[in-house]
Amino acid sequence: MSLDPVKVMKGQDPMALSSPLASNGDSKASWEESEGFCDGLGPKKPKSPKPENAVTIAVSSRVLFRTEKEQKVFEEKGVEEYIKYQMEHENEPFAPGPAFPFVKALETVNARLRELYPDSEELFDIVLVTYNHAHVGVRLINTINHHNLFIERFCMTGGSSPIGYLKAWHTNLYLSADAEKVQEALAQGIAAATMFMPEKQIEVSETQLRVAFDGDAVLFSDESERIFKAHGLDKFFEHERENENTLLDHGPLKGFLEALGKLQKKFYAKGHRLDCPIRTYLVTARSAASSGIRALKTLRAWGLEIDEALFLAGAPKGPMLEKIRPHIYFDDQMFHVEGAVEMGTIAAHVPYGIAQKYPHKKGTNFAK
Amino acid sequence: MDPDVQESAETQQSGSALVTAVSCHDIFDLSACQTDSSPLAKGAAFSFINAVQAVNQRLVKHNANEMLRFEVILLGKDCEEQIKSKIFDSAKHYGLKIGKFYFCSRGEFVRTLQANNAKLFLSTDRDDVYGALKAGVPAALLCQQADQQVQEQLKVLFSGDLIGLSEDVIDGLKDFGFSAVQIQNFKAAKGCIQEFAALIGEMRKRFGCKDSPLQTILITVLGSRDVCATALKTLRGWGLDVDEAFCLAGAPRNPILTTIQPHILWDDGLHNMKGVLPLMDMSS
Repeated sequence: MSLDPVKVMKGQDPMALSSPLASNGDSKASWEESEGFCDGLGPKKPKSPKPENAVTIAVSSRVLFRTEKEQKVFEEKGVEEYIKYQMEHENEPFAPGPAFPFVKALETVNARLRELYPDSEELFDIVLVTYNHAHVGVRLINTINHHNLFIERFCMTGGSSPIGYLKAWHTNLYLSADAEKVQEALAQGIAAATMFMPEKQIEVSETQLRVAFDGDAVLFSDESERIFKAHGLDKFFEHERENENTLLDHGPLKGFLEALGKLQKKFYAKGHRLDCPIRTYLVTARSAASSGIRALKTLRAWGLEIDEALFLAGAPKGPMLEKIRPHIYFDDQMFHVEGAVEMGTIAAHVPYGIAQKYPHKKGTNFAK
Repeated sequence: MDPDVQESAETQQSGSALVTAVSCHDIFDLSACQTDSSPLAKGAAFSFINAVQAVNQRLVKHNANEMLRFEVILLGKDCEEQIKSKIFDSAKHYGLKIGKFYFCSRGEFVRTLQANNAKLFLSTDRDDVYGALKAGVPAALLCQQADQQVQEQLKVLFSGDLIGLSEDVIDGLKDFGFSAVQIQNFKAAKGCIQEFAALIGEMRKRFGCKDSPLQTILITVLGSRDVCATALKTLRGWGLDVDEAFCLAGAPRNPILTTIQPHILWDDGLHNMKGVLPLMDMSS
């Protein structure tokens, strides 16, 4: 019996160590020879990319699947009963949750990317990151199998904070049902949002990933939002006019838009601009004629293309989003997220910036 | 020459105890040994003992007659006389509850482990662990803690794709160029850790989900999610329901390990082998 544990804590490269179970006197050369066997087997599934090369999306189990029943058991009867319940229902798959269509759309994009660039690791990689106990693991894996999702990686942290693991996975976006965890992630510089399940679900595209963003405090910083909250609409207009040629500072989701843009360019490079399977939208309360100009100039200066910019000048976002049917819409204001969800849009709250301290008052309508 | 045995007042009934042998070199820093009466400096894995003692304390709190406890024995290889007594005194000084101290020559330490029915041998020295395993003693790496103070909870990590591969699948590896000896090694590796997993699993059940002084973790490194699911079920069958599970599917292991900061790391080493990757879609 020969096992050779790996001295990983010192950061040594495990691949540099010899293969212990091969120690029947053979040299390392025998391993190279046996590499040919993999041809016979053939890949059943495509290999997952290295985290640093991929656009990594971490989703929690509560947004990927519907777990309300289980959540209720947890809240009413405590963790032990919750785990017992999960294990009893281990072979019952969960129903899809709010992040499900988004994840499916990511896989569609991956399939197209693999067709065009078979050797590239610039793909979406989805990791299930949950602070569930591993006892729920078998049920989660059964569910993933049932829905035929391509998720091979997961972290079940058994109650400890998942934030450290997000960094280890080079996470580009974290989606969770827990606002606290999302805020922790944002504080660590990781794009994150809380997702909500729409009561009615409008159909979303199965061939094109659509991602919609609010502008202020999502793509951009909340600096202009602050002026508006502190000094009102007129001051806001004045400020934007005066600073039209000054770039806005970046917001928490700018990096994610950038990552999407990089993948879009890969499609354009192969002549797929018109039928690109990724489409991005800016849905902002700013006005096209005035305050919107600064937003556009900023995006241009960042080298980011957004496919459609919708300046609503204060009009409600719901109807516009209903037309777009994004797989996910990011907004920093719960008022807008709730409005979108009421109309069947899959919306996610980015708890960032001044709006968290001074939420939007219902019934008011501001043209920005 | 028979090994030198020193028993302290802390000797427990061995019976169903989880006899864990640890190398002296890991608990104390033997390099900077002063001739005066000051105790030895703490070694790289000193915090491990604290964590183990915390587990024992909690076990006894639940049940004063608890038989399933960690019984730590210290092994010292090729120690000079003056070091031996320093070790004994230092253990006393730090209030370490260590049952037995064995001082033997390098060549005998495996025999010593076997004679004492050690359920697990721990060392930060890879070669030591390798030597024990070769002789059939369950052994694992004792990890150096980055932050000596913080880790109160004892973390036991099984890095084992092998656990997720069924006997048939392991047998089937011969079709891919692995020799009979290597296949035998795989099976033996899986077999040797089973008893320890069962004991740790039993011990873990003494505590609730929250606020446990003991945390058990599974990582599969190369295998697909189904390999991980099989590993979870296998461990469950052995009597261990792990708290945390990670499926890396080929992602680098170091960043995850650095976040987990385990004390005990049992590693089947399978992921070090080239050419194994495509096999990892197999599950029972």
